Amino acid sequence: MPRYIWWLVGAALIVAPLLSGNRYFLYIATMVTILIPMALSINLTLRLGQLSLAQPAFMGIGAYTSALLVMNLGVPSGFAILAGGLLATLAAVVVGPIFLRVKGVYFVLLTYSFAQIVNLNFQYWTTPFGGNNGLFGIPPISYPGGDLISKNTFYFLLGLILTAISLYIMRRFEKSDSGMICDALNEDEMLCLALGSNALSWRIAAFACSALMAGISGGVYAFFIGFISPDSFGFQLSVDLIVMNVVGGVSSTFGPVLGSVIIVPLLELLRDARQYQLLVYGLCLLFFMLFCRKGLVSLVWRGLRRNSFGNA
Amino acid sequence: MLRVEGLSRRFGGLIACDEIRFSVMPREVFGIIGPNGAGKTTLFNVISGRFKPSAGRVTFEGRDVTGLSSDKIGRSGIGRTFQGVHMFREATVRENLRNAEVIARRHNPVAYLMRRKTSRNVGYDAICEAVGLTSHLDIVAGNLSYGVQKMLGIAMALVTSPKLLLMDEPVAGLNPSEKKSAGLLIRRLRDEFGITILLVEHDMPLVMSVCDRILVVSQGKPIALGTPAEIRAHPHVIDAYLGEDYEFA
Repeated sequence: MPRYIWWLVGAALIVAPLLSGNRYFLYIATMVTILIPMALSINLTLRLGQLSLAQPAFMGIGAYTSALLVMNLGVPSGFAILAGGLLATLAAVVVGPIFLRVKGVYFVLLTYSFAQIVNLNFQYWTTPFGGNNGLFGIPPISYPGGDLISKNTFYFLLGLILTAISLYIMRRFEKSDSGMICDALNEDEMLCLALGSNALSWRIAAFACSALMAGISGGVYAFFIGFISPDSFGFQLSVDLIVMNVVGGVSSTFGPVLGSVIIVPLLELLRDARQYQLLVYGLCLLFFMLFCRKGLVSLVWRGLRRNSFGNA
Repeated sequence: MLRVEGLSRRFGGLIACDEIRFSVMPREVFGIIGPNGAGKTTLFNVISGRFKPSAGRVTFEGRDVTGLSSDKIGRSGIGRTFQGVHMFREATVRENLRNAEVIARRHNPVAYLMRRKTSRNVGYDAICEAVGLTSHLDIVAGNLSYGVQKMLGIAMALVTSPKLLLMDEPVAGLNPSEKKSAGLLIRRLRDEFGITILLVEHDMPLVMSVCDRILVVSQGKPIALGTPAEIRAHPHVIDAYLGEDYEFA
């Protein structure tokens, strides 16, 4: 298939929810745009050769911080979202130096425990976090032109902007020297150290960026849904994000995007069959691990390449 | 230039390096030899910062560098090459060299933001010419022969313009003609680039022909230090390492 078809598909996916006027459709599309930065944030840690299960915790920190700032202190929601992102980044900078010293399974376990600790805190402290009942009545973001653009459209557009920015940053990062340095650290750390590279500081920086993305997407999520509870930022979200990465493909920035576009609506469709969700995940993962390790995005690339060679 | 004093390293009960003491003069090619398991590589790793010493001191140009992490040592002007091949397999030779320079210059994210514009003037051409990579620049590193890959390792270390280069078995695995040119290269690094060299090597003919002075280690202890001629005649060395009728090529 020629390249422009993919652009058309992308454009259609953006325009269709706006034109359909169906609120449920728009809701799902907005969730996709909020979860794409999350999937990208886990993808960023995968690029360091590390699988972080702490991303939902960073998202939770962003969500609770921005919600509480608006509800209790009346901070403008834009600043609150930013503050939530920064607090998540700060958390990553504090725990990063400890976590990033270890590799592989140990890193996964450490980030898992961190996510659990953060989540238990949300559950335990009824003030200010509302405990297991969560926080409700988060005031929606007020925006200019409220009578022209409906609330749902606004959040979808906000999510799109968020997705576009994170996608742009990830692409820039991929092609920049810092992306090269992170890949190099992953490929041959001994060599980088011998060349004088402070490997740990690079890893912390990338980890902090991933936390910033997660924190901001958490803030947007909080205002969009208007209700947050610890449950939304639990281990299940990590699993969802990993599946998005695997299904889409981890080696390209578009992989997690594609993964989110497929998996998030699928989760909604399977909402009634929640008990089968893990089974479906298991089969999906098995299939992709065995037959398509580079994810769906590799099939798209292959299609593009065949086309450009085939027609020549 | 580099001074090592009473350097020891223990692994549990095993003493890998025991009270090693030597100093390398500026613009010297200094060799360390010894039988397998003598503690050469451990000594090397302690100097380059991979292991912390159990006791002793290392100073470089009057600065105490004992127990610094390997990246700090790398930034202080001490480069190193590896026994095996270390490089970025999927990048071309040219990209490898450029990456090495960027990694060294932008050693942490803050340095990345602060010194965006200033690129060090690296004599890529001179380095490639000396190391013999000029004709391989656009080849993907993973497809090069082992010998050329090792040369690429040396070139990447040179890109950071080190004052002292630690070379871990630079000719291990090379064929005779490659060994010969590696020997010439080591001399040129000293003569043309003004780099002081500390090398660990098994290949006697190379060590004897390029080194100004040699330290012999056996069972973690230094047993002799001197010029190649002195080492060749040293009774302890012959006992411990070379054997009665060793041929020096």
